[in-house]
Amino acid sequence: MISLKNVTFKWHKNDKKPTLRIAELAVEKGERIFLYGPSGSGKSTLLALLTGINTATSGDVYILNQCLNTQSNTKRDAFRADHIGTIFQNFNLLPYLTPIENVILGCQFSKVRQSQALKHATTLHKEAERLLNALGLIEQYHHKNVAQLSIGQQQRVAAARAFIGNPELIIADEPTSALDANNRESFITLLFEQALHLNSTLIFVSHDESLKPLFDRSIDLTHLQEQI
Amino acid sequence: MILAKLAYKSLLNRRASVFLTLFTIAISVMLLLSIERVRVDAKSSFSNTISGTDLIVGARTGDIQLLLASVFRIGHTNNGVSWQSYEYITNQRGVKWSIPISLGDSHKGQAVLGTTLDYFEHYRFAKKQNLSFNQGHPFLNINEVVLGSSVANKLGYKLGDHIVISHGMGNTSFHHHDDNPFKVVGILNPTGTPVDKTLHIPLAAIDLIHARASTKNDEHDEHDEHDEHDEHDEHDDLIGHPKQITAFLMGFKSPLYTLQIRRNINQYKQEALLGIMPTVTLKELWQMLAIVEKTLQLFSAIVVLVSLLGMLTTLLANLSQRRRELAILRSVGARPWQLFTLISIESLLTTLLGCLVGCALFYLVMYLGAGYLQSHAGISVNIAMLSYYELTLIGVIMVAGFIIGLVPATRAYFYSLSDGMSIKT
Ligand SMILES: Nc1ncnc2c1ncn2[C@@H]1O[C@H](COP(=O)(O)OP(=O)(O)OP(=O)(O)O)[C@@H](O)[C@H]1O
Ligand SMILES: [Mg+2]
Repeated sequence: MISLKNVTFKWHKNDKKPTLRIAELAVEKGERIFLYGPSGSGKSTLLALLTGINTATSGDVYILNQCLNTQSNTKRDAFRADHIGTIFQNFNLLPYLTPIENVILGCQFSKVRQSQALKHATTLHKEAERLLNALGLIEQYHHKNVAQLSIGQQQRVAAARAFIGNPELIIADEPTSALDANNRESFITLLFEQALHLNSTLIFVSHDESLKPLFDRSIDLTHLQEQI
Repeated sequence: MILAKLAYKSLLNRRASVFLTLFTIAISVMLLLSIERVRVDAKSSFSNTISGTDLIVGARTGDIQLLLASVFRIGHTNNGVSWQSYEYITNQRGVKWSIPISLGDSHKGQAVLGTTLDYFEHYRFAKKQNLSFNQGHPFLNINEVVLGSSVANKLGYKLGDHIVISHGMGNTSFHHHDDNPFKVVGILNPTGTPVDKTLHIPLAAIDLIHARASTKNDEHDEHDEHDEHDEHDEHDDLIGHPKQITAFLMGFKSPLYTLQIRRNINQYKQEALLGIMPTVTLKELWQMLAIVEKTLQLFSAIVVLVSLLGMLTTLLANLSQRRRELAILRSVGARPWQLFTLISIESLLTTLLGCLVGCALFYLVMYLGAGYLQSHAGISVNIAMLSYYELTLIGVIMVAGFIIGLVPATRAYFYSLSDGMSIKT
């Protein structure tokens, strides 16, 4: 599913030390991974490599047997849209669209995701509604402006957008940081349910190690970096 | 299509700044169209004022002054042409027709023109069009008047009304009781020329008014009877025995005569006369005004340029605020060319709406301003559909707006996803 070999990443060419140095990382299909490390350890940076937003300075990043760092930009964009659902640390929702529209946006630019989504429901709109309901955002918020939603509610929208159209890989960057302990667990449960239901691989990033036991496997990024 | 929908929603989200941009474009379109419409219509009202007249003859002044006085009723010639000269010149070989005109009087601010029946037969305006009657017929008696269309409209005169015309340029007459009124017997169709603002009376009546004015200061009671008596004699003679007329218009059998007789007139010994060819002098006059025309054109071009530059500034400023928005779209799979299209659609939509609103404003301004222009500048603005020329202007603005929109669109194309994603808020 995911395989990284001797990957390094520098934000700037002339940085002395690379932000990331990973000798090896492999994730199997369907695994639910908990990735943790202190703030600034490079968690978000790693996720940007996995999603192809950034490319490795050296080494190879393979997702679904595709080598991301040799792909052209356009191909990588298409690949990401087709196969990866991302919940960003800051959600990245479009403030002028409603939750429903934001969720639909997740499959609007990808034929693959779109046809997957239409397997679950007759219209994209219905599928978006179904996902939002499943993630616990009640109907009355579906047509509000995203900007008017609470952080927790925005998180659910971001999650629904990541899930729509069955992406093989779901990446979540600290989606629970703004939630209290109770809500955090119930949100993660919902996330798991969806991931299980879709048989997706899940990579969940947090610096809150108390969540560790909920996952199949956990990776300490600091530890991973030291292996070289 | 999703891009159009996104463009629309995004524009709506930034409606304040979009509205400003749109409004600047609308204003500039409105100004451009108004200036061009007035310019074109002024030019055509101008050159349509008189046609088919080969020569205008008056006392020697400047060409343009004579044209202004005889055709536009602007200013007036101090001297006239003696009736003898008129008769002598118009009896030359090659003269097809002639119209004597006598100006200098007015009625409630409208010019009064003394002339003969030849005026209604031979006077031409625009594309050699005849004067035509909306109601009634030419004057047949000395105390009858034919009104230009806007005189009738403005002063509310109808056929059969009796109106008082007195000597001089004054608006009112203090001696109503002893002025014999004129009867309205004809109202002309609109021509869009100074004819509309003219009251036409027989040449003989001009003399009558003048005679009356010079005697009335003395013992007018006695002269009243005398006037009545005079009129009866002159009823069948609409020309009377004028000593002088202001000018006369002539048509010739062939252009050769025009040049020949014009030469003779300009060298005429008995009196200092001037013969002008109205088409030539109109052109000269318009060339004098060309600087005004050029300035107007330059002005509207600058207005459009400024508004388009304003749009560019706003678009670029907005773009840097929208980098995250664009990165989000990229992250869900939008291709760079789709962002390019998105931005282009937005600027195209803005320009299109701007142009539409501008057209609406233009019609509003024309609708409100047409009356003023007609009455104060004599320009008959026509509130018709946009002409081919005006549509071309709008087209040019649209294309310019589109091209300007390509600048931010190209920048959006080259924004890297990674940079956009780093923007946290
Ligand atoms: N856009 C960027 N340009 C340059 N350096 C960056 C950029 N983003 C992050 N970094 C640097 O990379 C390092 C890792 O940052 P990263 O965001 O991956 O940390 P993180 O583990 O996600 O932290 P957090 O838990 O606070 O989200 C930091 O030292 C940071 O300064
Ligand atoms: Mg982070």
